[in-house]
Amino acid sequence: MLRNYFKIAIAVLKRRKFFTFISLFGISFTLTILMVGTAFLDKVISPDYPDYKRERSLYVGSMELQNSKEGWLNRSNVSFYFFDHYVSRLKSVEKIGISSYSKASNAYINKKKIVINYKYTNADYWRVLEYRFLEGKPYAEQQILHAERVAVISKAIKKAYFGDVSSVVGQYISADEVNYRVIGVVDNVAKTMRNFAGDMFLPYTVSKENYKKPDLMGSYSAVLLARSKADVPKMKLEFDQMMKKVPIGNKEFDRLYCNADYFFASITRGITGDGKDSGITKAVSVLVALVILFLLLPTINLVNINITRIMERSSEIGVRKAFGASSRTLVYQFIVENMILTFLGGLLGLLFSALMIYFFNSWNLMDGVRLSLNFSVLMYSFLACVFFGLISGVYPAWRMSRLNVVKALKAQ
Amino acid sequence: MVKHLFKLIWNKRRHNFLFLSEILVSFLVIFAVFSFLVYYYMNYRKPMGLAYDRVWSVNYNSNQQSKNMDSLVIFYEDLQKALKSMPMVEAVSYTSNNFPYSSGIMTTGLSPAGKKVYNVNNYMVGDDYNKVWKMTLLEGRWFNPEDKVARNKAIIINESLRKEIFGKAPAIGKSVGDYEDKGKLKIIGVVQDFKANGDFWPAGYALFSPLDSGYLKHTNVLLVKVRPEADAGFESSLYKFMASRLKNSSIEIQHLSEMRDAKNEQTIIPMLIFMIIASFLIINVALGLFGVLWYNINQRRGEIGLRRALGASGNSVSGQLISESLILATMSLAVGCFFALQFPIMNVFNVPSIVYVIAIFLSIAFIYVLVFVCALYPGKQAAAIHPAVALHEE
Repeated sequence: MLRNYFKIAIAVLKRRKFFTFISLFGISFTLTILMVGTAFLDKVISPDYPDYKRERSLYVGSMELQNSKEGWLNRSNVSFYFFDHYVSRLKSVEKIGISSYSKASNAYINKKKIVINYKYTNADYWRVLEYRFLEGKPYAEQQILHAERVAVISKAIKKAYFGDVSSVVGQYISADEVNYRVIGVVDNVAKTMRNFAGDMFLPYTVSKENYKKPDLMGSYSAVLLARSKADVPKMKLEFDQMMKKVPIGNKEFDRLYCNADYFFASITRGITGDGKDSGITKAVSVLVALVILFLLLPTINLVNINITRIMERSSEIGVRKAFGASSRTLVYQFIVENMILTFLGGLLGLLFSALMIYFFNSWNLMDGVRLSLNFSVLMYSFLACVFFGLISGVYPAWRMSRLNVVKALKAQ
Repeated sequence: MVKHLFKLIWNKRRHNFLFLSEILVSFLVIFAVFSFLVYYYMNYRKPMGLAYDRVWSVNYNSNQQSKNMDSLVIFYEDLQKALKSMPMVEAVSYTSNNFPYSSGIMTTGLSPAGKKVYNVNNYMVGDDYNKVWKMTLLEGRWFNPEDKVARNKAIIINESLRKEIFGKAPAIGKSVGDYEDKGKLKIIGVVQDFKANGDFWPAGYALFSPLDSGYLKHTNVLLVKVRPEADAGFESSLYKFMASRLKNSSIEIQHLSEMRDAKNEQTIIPMLIFMIIASFLIINVALGLFGVLWYNINQRRGEIGLRRALGASGNSVSGQLISESLILATMSLAVGCFFALQFPIMNVFNVPSIVYVIAIFLSIAFIYVLVFVCALYPGKQAAAIHPAVALHEE
């Protein structure tokens, strides 16, 4: 039966080439946009270099103080003291990778300006996050303890600062008129990995800020690593319980919020959420609304064209009905036909998205961001195809099934 | 004639429902695109109000250890003097973090008699701030040293804020209440609006107040206007100078022209993506309309043949079909305008109504052109129908 439908669908497609072209153009273009969008989203959400252990991790990035009576709000990154004094004592935390937000400094090499974004980290940062070391190694606890001026730099800054040399370990790089000894070079991190991108990594003990100051707000964020995936909810619970006991230490405020979030929530909290609300529902509904709005026009267009094409086939439908085909069979047939069309469009769309992604990557439109069509993107695209095929097929099919036999046959 | 056409359409209203909704949605998409474009263009045409070329910002983290207020003030004054004496430097000024093209925002409110004005950008500025930016003073004067010791704090406001508070009445010498309406601020000057958020955004309300010594320890940006000869060599020596003066600090020098480009890109790139997607949608719709009209006309060969046989000219037949499509479009546009008009009426997003009105007119024109172009070829085809052939088919 399906084979028959398939044959009919292909025959119909061949009949009116112009309409086929319009339908395929609409479908493939719409799906291309959706697929490239999904590839972007996937790039942000799924584990990526150097943050591969997202399943075992929770992210702490902001500290919020509120005065609930006056409605004041003060939000910033978290202090090193908070992580060191409170969080590192939690039992379910295996390791904690702490890093400051990146600050920029300049270096001038051969009359050319180089902007160096640098971050201060602790030693476990290198164990929690899996940076690819192209040469050398990270700094260890000993070096941090002695506040040694050592640096891990990125491949890009190695090239910009030292030029095309094979090895730079042991050489000195200068920022803010301080010389740091390079002990390792890591592969570049995409800009989308906001918390982990940087050109130079330094031990937090060489930081000019007083990292021991017992404040809650500061310039650091952290990744908490649990022993196993199953331990993560326990870690989250323990963190929340600990937060209840942390003193606010500031009379102007009466509420304190700081959250250990799963990765997705850690992103949405910054965009649509606040200290209390992770903002996931809001972010997801905005996204869904945007996608539906975007799909509206191509869908109406496709429905329009589909109806036109069905009317063309009224005699065929009349004959089938006259010979006893039920409305359901006809609806079913038409939806299958529409699905076949959608999947053809989907294949074309896949081709276009592969091309677009290829150009996106080869022109390097966003620094260091490499998109790819992987399995999950394909899965989402498949879902989008099914969804699109269904919504654009149901109404025309219903219209078709209601055609009056006599009228349909007489029309010819 | 139009009444007759309307009747024809009304008889097929169910048939035309999808066609109508398609035009309606396209209209709304186009309206959104044009609203953005008109808004950006109108802002783009306004004068910049400041000169950003050859202005550099020097960021330093001010964790100067000195607890003593006086020595801190002396330190910063010395630093400024030393910079100003450099041969390549035209002007130097301290500023709060919200200088033009930066990402910093600092707003406050004002309480002029009987009302409140919110969202006033509060710029804390050093003595030579106006020289760095080459700002245009419209009325009154710039700050002088006596303002720092005056009882009522002196402020300078921009054109937009002046218009909001005083309208056409004189502003110089007037006092307004501050945010909580406790202190009084005396207006000593009015400057031309400057677009601090890039070329495509309005200047908004702004007030400038002198950066006093108490605020110095929160300050971490210096603006430097350099001479045309200043090159990377000078930048590097400026950097070294700053790093040696501010020992415990990290220094970053940025060029305001680059910051402006970055700021503009934040507007242009999303707009470009939006326009590309919208234009693909419109191509899609145009092809769809074209196909549907073409098909409809083929369905009506009998009717058209009859009209031709009764003596209607080819032009009047194609004219009828095109005007039918345009009337259909008008029906959608009427509904679309109803929705679109809500934007200026409700003053959505605080955008001037004129922007929405222009956008509505442009979108209407666009949709008419689109429908006309899509109906042109099918109409021509209809005109070419030979009555004998068409009637023979029946």
